[in-house]
Amino acid sequence: MELQFNEGERAFREEVRAFLLDNIPERIRQAVYEERPLPRDWMIEAQQILNSAGYAVPHWPIEWGGRVWSPVKRAILAQEIDRNSVPKPLPFNVTLIGPIIAAFGTEDQKQRFLPGIANLDIWFCQGFSEPNAGSDLASLKMSAIREGDHYRVNGRKIWTTYAHEADWIFCLVRTSREERKQQGISFLLIDLETPGVEVSPIQSIDGFHHLNEVQFDDAIVPAENLVGEEGKGWDYARYLLGQERTSMGNVGFSRRRLERSRALAGEAAGERSETLLGDADFLRRQTWAEIRLKALEITQMRVVASAPVQGADPKTSILKTEGGELLQEAADLLLDTMGPEALTAGFPAGIGPEEFYGIDERSGILSAYFSSRKYSIFGGSNEIQRNILAGSVLRLGRKR
Amino acid sequence: MNFDLSEDQVLLAEMVGRMLGDHAANDRRDPGAEWRDCLGQGLIALPFAEDQGGLGGGHEEVMLMMEAIGRNLSQTPYLQSVLLAGRVLALAGRMELGDLLDGAQRHCLCLYEPGQRYRWATPATRAERCAEGWSITGAKVSVPDLDDTCALIVPAATAEGLVLFLLPPGISGVTLDIRPAPDGRTAANVNFASVIVPVDAAIGDPAGNEALLAEALDGAVLASCAESIGAMERLLDLTVEYCNIREQFGAVIGSFQALQHRAADMLIAIERARSITIYAASMMDAPAARRSVAVSAARALVNRSSRFVGQQAIQLHGGIGLASECAAGAYFQRLTVLETLLGDTEHHVAAVERSGGLLAA
Repeated sequence: MELQFNEGERAFREEVRAFLLDNIPERIRQAVYEERPLPRDWMIEAQQILNSAGYAVPHWPIEWGGRVWSPVKRAILAQEIDRNSVPKPLPFNVTLIGPIIAAFGTEDQKQRFLPGIANLDIWFCQGFSEPNAGSDLASLKMSAIREGDHYRVNGRKIWTTYAHEADWIFCLVRTSREERKQQGISFLLIDLETPGVEVSPIQSIDGFHHLNEVQFDDAIVPAENLVGEEGKGWDYARYLLGQERTSMGNVGFSRRRLERSRALAGEAAGERSETLLGDADFLRRQTWAEIRLKALEITQMRVVASAPVQGADPKTSILKTEGGELLQEAADLLLDTMGPEALTAGFPAGIGPEEFYGIDERSGILSAYFSSRKYSIFGGSNEIQRNILAGSVLRLGRKR
Repeated sequence: MNFDLSEDQVLLAEMVGRMLGDHAANDRRDPGAEWRDCLGQGLIALPFAEDQGGLGGGHEEVMLMMEAIGRNLSQTPYLQSVLLAGRVLALAGRMELGDLLDGAQRHCLCLYEPGQRYRWATPATRAERCAEGWSITGAKVSVPDLDDTCALIVPAATAEGLVLFLLPPGISGVTLDIRPAPDGRTAANVNFASVIVPVDAAIGDPAGNEALLAEALDGAVLASCAESIGAMERLLDLTVEYCNIREQFGAVIGSFQALQHRAADMLIAIERARSITIYAASMMDAPAARRSVAVSAARALVNRSSRFVGQQAIQLHGGIGLASECAAGAYFQRLTVLETLLGDTEHHVAAVERSGGLLAA
């Protein structure tokens, strides 16, 4: 065992940190620190700076911009991006559709899309969930019927984050009816400018608009936009689950939130002592969260440093649930530092991010609190993760 | 970073697992035989430096040993006599370590006192200089694995500071009240009534003894975390096995989602415990204050996981979980003993709080 970062890993961390602090504009880092949503052009600006240094897609194949960095180094990069309040490279682009096209796309698709995906010249959103296919994703109904050299597409996708900012959407669609619902699903890229595609906003409880519903009415999509083989879409989506796990635990993000809750609690008046941080109950919650963060940081590195496991790796589900729960706990603590000022620090009543400024730097906290409920819901809810742990890992309820 | 075991470590884990597994399979366990086997296999010498007659094993090797002890509910007094008392003798540079290594003598460290919870550094037990050397008066509680053949190491307050006294077995003025602990081992309360010892019974340097004890204790607490992890993993295995056999309502109870999610939570709790323990292991060479905080963070979270895993294992077993014949209970009992043995949750979380938290670590 080698339980500390080695010299090369420590040097890499310093190099990354210096680059981020020198190159990402302060206004962007400040907005991320305060958890204010970023205007579209700021997100593009940040990702292009990262991409220029090879920091946007280091996990991709080398010919498409990947680096020969160890998983440990990639995890260090992800942590430094989060800890230093730098916007993450758009996950829909760099951890979802990019690797899928790189692994299963045609040469034409790779050339057409991958450079733009890495540089956020092309913005992708994710069309997986449907109104009646959430946790039971394989029951999705959106149909794509092959007609000569195109598909006729009908159906609805929902909870599509940033569909209103995006240029393209990647969708799981049903191309045939088969015995098993996981069969007959294909992976299709659709230009959001296509006639018959309509994006409508969903206002969310955090006060912002980032979620959408996307309706497809007889949209005509070129057959060349099919990724891989028809009917293999479910396998490709599953392929993603075991992929980039270096940032799955969100440990840098949780650390940033917990540093902030400790600092804010040290300034707020306490109920039983000078400061809130001096109150036994608050301090205990803060301390437990810090202990859990330390455990999570190690779990993250254990996942990163271990060879990928074929089939269900318990640590992936654990990383996802633990990481999400800790972000939620940190958001709870942040909210609890605010007292009555939570109501007036600033809540965006249905306006766009570029118009949102609260009255002080704590304005993003309330939104972040509401928004953080998503961490135990998206990408396979925590209940689904526990099903996986119980079924595939512990093999409960299965005959030996 | 690399979390893989070396080849030697894999071999060590296999050897210890096999040896303690054989003892566990025996209906009539004999802790004495386990101890002799540990001696024979060099495991008593494992954690000590080669120039002190040991094998130079590190914390990782000790943790492998302790995981096997937990998994097999071994009753060998390794934690007490090797990792606590033995480590104190080694750190103080005492020749008596040789008696431990060659099997001639087992030692026990008496840390805690009545009504004082875990405040070992400020004992009410006192020693005064007298014509023959020192006279010790006071009381210690809950000394694990102590019997009347053991030598004692007793911290006492003196005018010169904290002194550790080495007492031979059977010395006049010492009374032992040996009681059964819930996990089948024993714990003793010890009384010292004007116990007279010679001058050279005082170990170490009063100015450094608190740091010496803290170092030994941190190593033992880390090792105890590994023992808890071994016990928790085996207990989860037993629970899953049971849930896949026991049928109610026409189905194995392991097919019910409420129970599945409980078991998944147990698995998550165990992985947390393992990760925080690895963190503590990585901090054992850090400056003493940071080392101690890391160890406290580990024991706090391991305690929390232990309580959850232990209680839920009994719940998932249902009625049979309450019966002593069911193995789950013995693991629950062991986990509970380990929870209180070297600092409970309250003690260790409070230590992390006093240090200002873990974010700077």
